[in-house]
Amino acid sequence: MEARHIYKTYGSKDALKAREGDAKTCIGAKSVIEAAKDVSLQIRKGDIKLIFGPSGSGKSTFLRCMAMLDIPDKGEIYLGDECLTIPGVDLNKARARIGFVFQHIYLFRHLTALGNVELALRQVFKLSKDEARRRALDALTEVKVTDCVNKYPSQMSGGQAQRVGIARAIARNPDIILLDEPTSALDPELTGEVIDTLRDLAREGKTMLIVSHEMPFAREVAEEMIFYDEGTIVETGPPSLFFNAPNTDRAKKFMTRIINRTTREEMNV
Amino acid sequence: MDVWQQFIILLEGVPLTLSISIVSFLIGIVVGLPIAFIRVYEKEVSFVVDAYEKIFRGVPEIVLLLLFYFGLGPAFPSTFGNAFFVAAFVLGLRSGANQSQIYRGAIRGVGDEQMIAGMSIGLSKWRAIWHVMVPQVFNFSTAGLGSEYALLIKDSAYVYVIGLAELMKRAIELKYSANDVVTPFVLSALLYIAITFPIAFWLDRWGNRRKKKLGL
Repeated sequence: MEARHIYKTYGSKDALKAREGDAKTCIGAKSVIEAAKDVSLQIRKGDIKLIFGPSGSGKSTFLRCMAMLDIPDKGEIYLGDECLTIPGVDLNKARARIGFVFQHIYLFRHLTALGNVELALRQVFKLSKDEARRRALDALTEVKVTDCVNKYPSQMSGGQAQRVGIARAIARNPDIILLDEPTSALDPELTGEVIDTLRDLAREGKTMLIVSHEMPFAREVAEEMIFYDEGTIVETGPPSLFFNAPNTDRAKKFMTRIINRTTREEMNV
Repeated sequence: MDVWQQFIILLEGVPLTLSISIVSFLIGIVVGLPIAFIRVYEKEVSFVVDAYEKIFRGVPEIVLLLLFYFGLGPAFPSTFGNAFFVAAFVLGLRSGANQSQIYRGAIRGVGDEQMIAGMSIGLSKWRAIWHVMVPQVFNFSTAGLGSEYALLIKDSAYVYVIGLAELMKRAIELKYSANDVVTPFVLSALLYIAITFPIAFWLDRWGNRRKKKLGL
């Protein structure tokens, strides 16, 4: 999967208009956020890459653009050989091949864990009832939430819910899994179980692009880390680069802050 | 004519009152639900449904009933010539206009994230609406739908103007035949209450239970 020269701005309509020079509506001009400015990124099969950076820098929006859940203003997204940004492409088909895990999980609240995972298999892939059930159960077993199969999202812990979210994304065997801060909305004591699940997926050779600040995890599984700030990729390199001596000051500062925080947390535990 | 006899005559009108209300309610769901989603997700064509909502919410039912029955009835005897058809048509479309407002609020309550999650697994917009949004929208709408149903029971009283022998029509006739201006209306008032609240109450309770269970 590849992103080429992606641009994306968002903000209120008025604010966007103001940027285009409509003098009447320049009040909201400040609220325009440039989430991506000429961002290019390539992930090959089996790669695990990790995007990190300050909050509000546009990482999540960029990730959504990769899945075409947000449509980029400019630039191309390729899934295999297929360009998703030309008009007329069947985006639903493309999204079915991309697993997406949300920061705030977004399980379907009216369905059980099994129902959540089965939905795409039944309605998008048109599998038979038995086949869909079998594959959904496989996925739920893989993320170790078999005890939640018939529970509704409201009856699960955050960690369980996020693992069901991961099962929902992997059950259809997507070409790539995009994960948007899968642990940052969870209580600290629940992140471990989700990280373990991600570690298992990494071991199986799944292709993943993860937005995360879980540094020990990143160091362990990521082939490449991408430091993202103010809508651009500032620096990329293997974890060793970032943990030892990043080239840019911004990355250096950010790493220091985040490593201090991580050590503090570990000392507390 | 004693009270009991009057009561029996009125009671025989209840099935018709109920069927007018329930059929209209169902028409309201079938019409109101898509319209709500069109207004939220297909803004370009909203003006069409906007016009429909304005007409059916703005014109009194009694005017529409008379207009369709006496105006269009002679030209289309098998449809608009049929009083039950006109009653269900007018009350149903009026309810659809109201219900679409209820559903629009509910769609906002369910939240756009659910829609995005639905699209993220490969569902098309309308499939995501059907499989993800609609079931939850109903859970959010039950209180509003309960009062909408109560409104329909009450509005069904207007259809006496096109001659359907429902509760109201029978009460008016009893006023003359029993020569009693109070009893028929007291009795019909009691009957209206009796058929309104059990269903509205049940809807509300079902909704609250679902909401609690799903943590909405």
